[in-house]
Amino acid sequence: MEMKRKWGMVIDLDKCTGCGACALACAQENNMPIFEDDSDFPKRVVFLDLMKVTNDRDAKYPDVDVCYIPKMCQQCEGNDPKNPRPPCVSVCPVVATDVGDDGVVSQVWSRCIGCRYCQASCPYDARTFNWWKPRYESSFKNSLNPDVSVASRGTVVKCQFCTHIWKRERDKAVARGELDINAVTYTPACVAACPTSAMLFGDLNDPKSELNQMLKREKGRKFRLVHTIDQKSEKRQEELKRIKNYPNPKVYYLSSKAWIKEMMKFK
Amino acid sequence: MKKLERKDFLKIGGGAIAGGLSGYVFSGAPFQSLQWLVELTQDQYAPPGGKEVYLSAVYPGTRSECNLSVRMIGDRAVKIDTANSGGPFIQNALQLLYHPERIDAPLKRISGKGTVKHSAFEKVGWDAALNDIASRMNGLVSGGKGSLVAGISKEPGISAALLDRLIRSAGSRNGYYEPTLHTLSSAALGGYIDYDFMNSDFILSFGARLLEGWGDPCYMNNAFVEWKKRGGRLVHADAVRTRTGSMADQWLSIKPGTELFLALGIANYLYRAKGKTTGSADWAAVVNEYPADKVAQITGLTVKKIEDTAEAFSRARNPIAVPGRGGMEVSSSSAEIMAVHTLNTMVGTRVAGLRGIRGLGEPVLSAEVRGSLIKAKKFTGLDDFIKNGNFEMLFVNEADPVYRSAYGDALAGKMEKSFVVAIMPLLNDTALYADYIFPSIIFFEKDIGTVKAPFHPYMKSRNSADMIIELARRVEVIKGNFPWSGYRELAGGTGGAAAGAGYLNYNAKILKDEIASITKRLKPSEEFPLSFVPVELTFVGDGEGMAYPYVLKTIDDKTFSRGKLWVRINRDTARRYGVSEGERIDIESPRGKLGSVRALLTDTVPPDTIAIPMGFGHKAYTKYAKNKGVNPKGIMANDIDPLTGTANWWLTRVKIS
Repeated sequence: MEMKRKWGMVIDLDKCTGCGACALACAQENNMPIFEDDSDFPKRVVFLDLMKVTNDRDAKYPDVDVCYIPKMCQQCEGNDPKNPRPPCVSVCPVVATDVGDDGVVSQVWSRCIGCRYCQASCPYDARTFNWWKPRYESSFKNSLNPDVSVASRGTVVKCQFCTHIWKRERDKAVARGELDINAVTYTPACVAACPTSAMLFGDLNDPKSELNQMLKREKGRKFRLVHTIDQKSEKRQEELKRIKNYPNPKVYYLSSKAWIKEMMKFK
Repeated sequence: MKKLERKDFLKIGGGAIAGGLSGYVFSGAPFQSLQWLVELTQDQYAPPGGKEVYLSAVYPGTRSECNLSVRMIGDRAVKIDTANSGGPFIQNALQLLYHPERIDAPLKRISGKGTVKHSAFEKVGWDAALNDIASRMNGLVSGGKGSLVAGISKEPGISAALLDRLIRSAGSRNGYYEPTLHTLSSAALGGYIDYDFMNSDFILSFGARLLEGWGDPCYMNNAFVEWKKRGGRLVHADAVRTRTGSMADQWLSIKPGTELFLALGIANYLYRAKGKTTGSADWAAVVNEYPADKVAQITGLTVKKIEDTAEAFSRARNPIAVPGRGGMEVSSSSAEIMAVHTLNTMVGTRVAGLRGIRGLGEPVLSAEVRGSLIKAKKFTGLDDFIKNGNFEMLFVNEADPVYRSAYGDALAGKMEKSFVVAIMPLLNDTALYADYIFPSIIFFEKDIGTVKAPFHPYMKSRNSADMIIELARRVEVIKGNFPWSGYRELAGGTGGAAAGAGYLNYNAKILKDEIASITKRLKPSEEFPLSFVPVELTFVGDGEGMAYPYVLKTIDDKTFSRGKLWVRINRDTARRYGVSEGERIDIESPRGKLGSVRALLTDTVPPDTIAIPMGFGHKAYTKYAKNKGVNPKGIMANDIDPLTGTANWWLTRVKIS
């Protein structure tokens, strides 16, 4: 498949204060269903989960540390970037989820039959299931975004890097008379809301993008969630890829704390 | 004609049924039924479209303003863009703007207090409500009872200044504020401290969780980005390892509640080793009593760490020492505020200046009112007033003291017996005891500086400042003191003015008394051996975030899940008491018992300490916030500070069972 773009993200955990602005902006942008009590954690519907982690299982007070990890769909591409095969896409029986030519793992709510295979296969627990009929009590409906369809009960939903904003920006480019609409860039809601600029979004295909420059610069701090293969030699990586399909996510994290990287290996 | 056999009859009948069925199936009717079934059981609501427009707006911070834009689809606001500035409370603004429980008209209570059910109120017109309140106020003032009028505002500002003027014009001194660092330091130092964090190269925080909703979050986040760019250094002293401690360049893990002594120890080093003067001789005598080795014993830090911190502070070009323990809600004793600010004056920093509140000036009072004012008892602050004061008429301006004050229950009891007027956009816990409730507008509906309000006031909401002016104009004795036509005339009129630099004339006796009281509380008793300190989630803050459903979605399951609040307890301490992870425990202080919480075992809190998340356990404040978790204020320490008049609730001695 010829990729027009390959959108990716870097989240600098050393800059993340855990304020939650990203999660709130995501919920607002993507019409998250509203329930009276969302404290039933496994059943709540969110695209971006603000995980609070500490190293206190291995360290004693006062050598402990606290960190927040904003975790959304990691937009996996599998072993072969030219033929993306994320774990969730491989198991969907109705092609409700697929990889677009922008590298984003899409999900069509109305095509989903609610089998939840994708949710089970996701290594990041990044997909959520609409157990209940979404309700937006009276005037809350006023703030719903028309660019994102409201998901039905019994469907799986997930972060799509706010790809509807890219569509919106490209439509505007067309209206302005621009010909190369794929040159248009955009910023997802969470990235735009981050008050400390801890999140950076860009095109992994473009070697000049700020994102790629940062990834090159930050070799010592960068890591990916549950992706231990990254620590192996290139030769060993090739061998392993021949026997197993690795998620190969497009979301990178930066941290100067060794314990976070160690914890995220989920040994 | 051939006789129709029974067999043929059955064949024809069977054929007709088969034909009918196949016709039904191929007609698509069953699929249509399925479609109806799907539509009946699932919500396929499609938000209406419209023309896309972006409106400019401003979020008013206490230190700086935060510019933002609102994406509109037709006449609906669907998104807030803060362009990498701001904080979580700005992202909640649309949920507040369109909250289904926003008050749409003035409400008058028609049944007993203690409830905010719809049936407890009737909607009334602004004029009728204001006339009723004005006639009651006229009655009180003309009857010589003007001193029994009181007001509680959330924070300083134009409407708060107007309410203070209204109260004073009635002959009362009882205009109070909910505690913020601004109001606490004004009471302790005679002015608030204007911290220029953006240009500081060394920030020494005494429990102020600067990156977790403290002060003006928009400004603090921008300052944090600047520190990262310029290499500014943040040193944070706190007992609990919070995110601010983790992000700081250095975390000083002190024993709970010992921030004051650390400040005295650093002052001692600056005086002794660096020759910096402290001001009065009395003050120097107090500082001399706290050499580094004594402070090391009290705080649990090493002598070297205390001296190194003091040395680094004195060598910085623009250092700031900042008190104000907590996040959105702060609690610091006047002694601690004095001791910490002394460090700024000792090194002569240029980025922490004392400023005075200008206010609206002194109102003109009649001889009768002046007499009432002279006789009126003066209380030092809100909690002192709640505990020892009395009122017959109370105005509550955007505040929620019934929920936030350590004396909330006592206030509720007094509000039951008096006439209470509240101004707020959502019915909070204080509204449970209000007789009249006026709907106020939110920042989106106000003109701020040169930026016009992007939205009209919701239904019959009005600016609280306009409401107070309109009320004052209907009260005979008071109206002369309110010549303004409305809020706009006063915009920008109550800012701060420099209150001078240099050494402050601290009251050393108060400091000594406070030190004695705090020292007593630091010692564990046999009955209450554990320390309890508060923690906050930034997006929940002091409880303000709980009315917003998207905030509830963001709370982690080890803070609040399935209706239960989790409290953090040190692992070794929990083991000693036989408490396991997730177990339900009871926490008891000398003031009472806090039941039904779960234990989260973590070494982010020090030994013999429990950290309880604040902001939960509302009794009202929308159905989203109501009855979720517990509010520990009822069991927290409530010793009233002699200068700030507020309860110093930061450290409470407790036991668990």
